[in-house]
Amino acid sequence: MSNKILEFKNLTKKFGKFTAVDRVSFSLREGEILGLLGPNGAGKTTTIHMLLDVLTPTFGEINYFGKNLTDHRSEILKRVNFSSAYISLPWLFTIEEALTVFAELYEIPNKKKRIDKLLSEFEIEHLRKKQVYKISAGEKARLLLTKAFLNYPEIILLDEPTASLDPDIAVKIREFLKRERKEYKVSMLFTSHNMNEVEEMCDRIVFLNKGKIIAEDKPENLAKQISDSEVELLIEEDEKATRLFTREKITYLKDRNIFRITIKTIEIPHLLTLLTSNEVEFQDISINKPGLEDYFLKISKGVKK
Amino acid sequence: MSIRRILAMNRRYFYTLVHNYDRLSDSIYWPLMDLLIWGLTGLYFAGLSENSEQTIAVLLTGIIFWIVTWRSQYEITVNLLSEMWDRNLVNIFTSPLKLSEWITAVMLQGGVKMTISILFSGAIAFILYKYAFFQFGLWLIPIIISLCITGWAIGFSVAGLIIRYGQKVQTLAWTGAYVIVPFSAIYYPVSILPSWAQEVSKIVPTSYIFEAMRQHISSGHISLEKIVVSFALNALYLLLSILLFIYGFRESKKHGLGRLI
Repeated sequence: MSNKILEFKNLTKKFGKFTAVDRVSFSLREGEILGLLGPNGAGKTTTIHMLLDVLTPTFGEINYFGKNLTDHRSEILKRVNFSSAYISLPWLFTIEEALTVFAELYEIPNKKKRIDKLLSEFEIEHLRKKQVYKISAGEKARLLLTKAFLNYPEIILLDEPTASLDPDIAVKIREFLKRERKEYKVSMLFTSHNMNEVEEMCDRIVFLNKGKIIAEDKPENLAKQISDSEVELLIEEDEKATRLFTREKITYLKDRNIFRITIKTIEIPHLLTLLTSNEVEFQDISINKPGLEDYFLKISKGVKK
Repeated sequence: MSIRRILAMNRRYFYTLVHNYDRLSDSIYWPLMDLLIWGLTGLYFAGLSENSEQTIAVLLTGIIFWIVTWRSQYEITVNLLSEMWDRNLVNIFTSPLKLSEWITAVMLQGGVKMTISILFSGAIAFILYKYAFFQFGLWLIPIIISLCITGWAIGFSVAGLIIRYGQKVQTLAWTGAYVIVPFSAIYYPVSILPSWAQEVSKIVPTSYIFEAMRQHISSGHISLEKIVVSFALNALYLLLSILLFIYGFRESKKHGLGRLI
């Protein structure tokens, strides 16, 4: 994962006085899955649209495979594809017709074979004669992914690829994406509101806020930036525990015999020692460590403020 | 330019024609209605005049020739709009398709559908009124090409506005071409226009074609000069309209094509 196959520098988009994307620079390596996250209005879609050349940057440079997008647009887009929950395919076309048109636009050899393989992969081969407007939202998401993989893309931009999919299908799609990356070194730029999916899929995450990159790291490292964990204790001798927590000034929430305590992760051993030394027995314990979702929520709250 | 991508876009618009009853009625129903209504009206008025055959010939040929211009502009504007209605615009323009290929594809599509419409209308005119509009002989070739280019020029001008301003100006796809109708003098000679309108008609290429049409119906001859002037004006307008469309497309990209879907 060393070759940078997509790289952009100081990408900026201004709409009048409003700056939607502000001097954003990052790169995508061969075979890498990069998550592009951020709250609504952070600039994710604007960035993706600039990368697809359907939105002209105010300034900044976009290079795919070492070539400038503006100068080599058609040649580059032949090796790139995308899928988004916000677009569709001609709604009166049958699935087969819609895919045939795109297979020809991407000049794919053996287009029928390729279409058949992908329809089977995404489990929608039985819908090939059905018109696009007659299929469900989940089937449409799979159809758009089929279109996105038609041209054996080396880079694929996925905007909410598993939105509106049933969990079992979403799992299969994720497995497919991982396989494509492993077998063909397909690089992916991935946006999703499903944080578990992002944590599972992405090697690295770029977090955008108000058009600027505010964090860029591995998912687990971003999660570590949230220092608080939630400890849930089931304590039958709740009066004894209440006295201890009050004395030690430990803030808690109590629901019958369950105590919820939010403390810094590194202080959890100290809490457990305290309970033991004061002979407060707990019947059950669960520790909720911070995840990417907590990081996302923290950042989002910051945005609202 | 890639021929395969141009043909792919033609396949895309052919499928739309096959599946969409609106588009089928645009191709068949409206030309048929025009020929019925105006043909019968022409027959009635022709009965009142001394030169009834010429009157009906002017009306029917005018209808059929205007279909050429109308259809070739309509294919450009409505095919662009269909990408927006289908939320497919971003798909198309994130593919390797070049703008020049899209332009070629819709010109070709307009040409093919115009040919189908003209053959259909010509057949209907013959069946209903025994009027053989092929009497123009080989003159039909430059006449139809010139009318078709006018349609393309109008189509790209309107498409430039649609791609820039989106569906809020989509009514231009149906109304835009009619701007030139009064000055084209389809059913009447340019000489009956007010003097200021006659001046305007001098820069409208279709006015030369319809004057040539009447000349042929009345005398059996066509002035080559009229055809040449119409081609010269058309070449200029087609070039300007394509430049306007490219400008509109680039301006639209500054605001994002994604907003148009």
